[in-house]
Amino acid sequence: MEDKVVIKLDGVTKAFGSMTVIKDLSFTIRAGEIVGLLGPNGSGKTTTVRLINGVIAPNTGSIEVFGRSSLAESDSIRARTGVLTETAGLYGEMTARENLAFFAKLYGLRDPQHRVEELLETFGLCEHKYRKVGAFSTGMRKRLGIAKALVHRPDVLFLDEPTTGLDPEASRDLLSYIEDLNKNEGVTILLATHLLKQVQDLCHRFLFLHEGRLIEAGTLRELEDKYLRSFQVKVETDLVPKGSSYLGFSLYDKMPGFLIFNLQSKEQIPILLSKLLQAGPVYSAEILGRDLETLYFNIRGEVQ
Amino acid sequence: MWAIAIKDMRAIGNSVQVWLPMLIVPVIMCVLLPGGLILGVRHFGVEGMDNVGSLGSLDKMLAALPPSSLKAALDALASPEQKLLYFALNYMFVPFFLLIPLMLSSVITANSFAVEKERKTLESLLFSPIDIPSLFLGKVLSAFVPSMLVTWLCTFLYGLVVDILAYPIYRRLIFPTTNWIVLIFWAVPAVSLVAVFINVIISAKVKGFQEAYQLGGLLVLPVLGLIMGQAMGALIIDVRLLGWIGALVWVLDFGLLRFIVRHFDRNKLFESQVS
Repeated sequence: MEDKVVIKLDGVTKAFGSMTVIKDLSFTIRAGEIVGLLGPNGSGKTTTVRLINGVIAPNTGSIEVFGRSSLAESDSIRARTGVLTETAGLYGEMTARENLAFFAKLYGLRDPQHRVEELLETFGLCEHKYRKVGAFSTGMRKRLGIAKALVHRPDVLFLDEPTTGLDPEASRDLLSYIEDLNKNEGVTILLATHLLKQVQDLCHRFLFLHEGRLIEAGTLRELEDKYLRSFQVKVETDLVPKGSSYLGFSLYDKMPGFLIFNLQSKEQIPILLSKLLQAGPVYSAEILGRDLETLYFNIRGEVQ
Repeated sequence: MWAIAIKDMRAIGNSVQVWLPMLIVPVIMCVLLPGGLILGVRHFGVEGMDNVGSLGSLDKMLAALPPSSLKAALDALASPEQKLLYFALNYMFVPFFLLIPLMLSSVITANSFAVEKERKTLESLLFSPIDIPSLFLGKVLSAFVPSMLVTWLCTFLYGLVVDILAYPIYRRLIFPTTNWIVLIFWAVPAVSLVAVFINVIISAKVKGFQEAYQLGGLLVLPVLGLIMGQAMGALIIDVRLLGWIGALVWVLDFGLLRFIVRHFDRNKLFESQVS
């Protein structure tokens, strides 16, 4: 990951008629990052992607991509970005190959056949390249949609709800490809989704949108430090304590083979484990409630 | 620009439901109608055709024409059959060849932005680095090229039918006249282009194919006015009138092109179609 800022929003507001959908939005994204743009439906994720790509204009504020204004130089910005829209935006009456070749031409590739074949191979669509996209499954369309977004080798990739409608296996494969793309080719990725569990381990950083406003931003660790004020630690052990506390730590729950402790801080965890190990066997330990979804609800709870 | 035009033209070519109706009506207008008229006059004569439509009154109208190149051309012809057919084939059918590109342009262009919006592909186009004038011109070409090709094909077929079937009456070829040359290479491209421009603008403003198609259909009204005007003897669509129609419509084309380039930007198109 580099320190170079590739996307910079400063005080951006966007309204459609009387409805303001983006409110004073400011953030930056650095080259090589995978950033999760998170929020419920209608929170402004898709509008943010459109604004960054210069297809709609903000009412106030400024947007810079690759150091250029998203309004004044939007064509040159779009030549370096790829977008997977929620519906993939493919032509159903055209074959997979024709779709990729068409978009390759739109992006100015003079001889796109090699790139088209390479992408069809990468996304496992070679066997279906002469089939009309209208007959494709949702998963195949999404894969072809990403291939379309990558046809011109963009520096920044925007993925809007990439896993919506996919089965767990297809979602895992897609997210794994996104991770490889970032690691191997250094592509900066902004991933807009409301499916928090899927992107928890993929994204380097998260931006939380709520009703068009950025309510929080940070890495998972930063968010944990800020929003996990009490820790529940689930320990797998043969120990069977009595009472509501054990070894000086408050017990939240007891189950056969498991104990759940309430701790005040993360720093208490090694002390607890050390004491437990002296008292008996400990097979595993897990911090509960540190997943992105729990953090998200904590963040929203504080905002509201 | 050409990538979009070729993509759209291929889509038309690949869909029988789209191109077949586009061919049937022009073929009826340009082959069956003139063919039927010539054969009818050949077999029944002008008197025998008196009860068919307005042919009888047409005969009287021609007799009352003021002095003109048409009047001179008709006076040079010997029989009532020759006069009637000459006028019908070289004047009465002319507005049909303005109607054909209008209809074709309306059908094809109504598809352009409205169907892209309905199928949610417009967003993909707008996310690409293509500039908006190129996007519009791609859409314009995708309708203009096929409608001109079909119109020219129809004119060629019309010429074949007219010259072959009417030869026994005139003992010479009566098609094409200067009227046709001015029509096909001056007035038709202008009218076709104006129809495409207006339909593309409508298609870009509305949100669905049906809406675009219905609004675009209003464009045939001026041509229907020409047909009625000529049938009632109020005007004759001759070289001079066609020259003027062409000139005025080319000016209108230029104005519409300027409007498209100046008025539409990505933001406006996006907000009217996608959001």
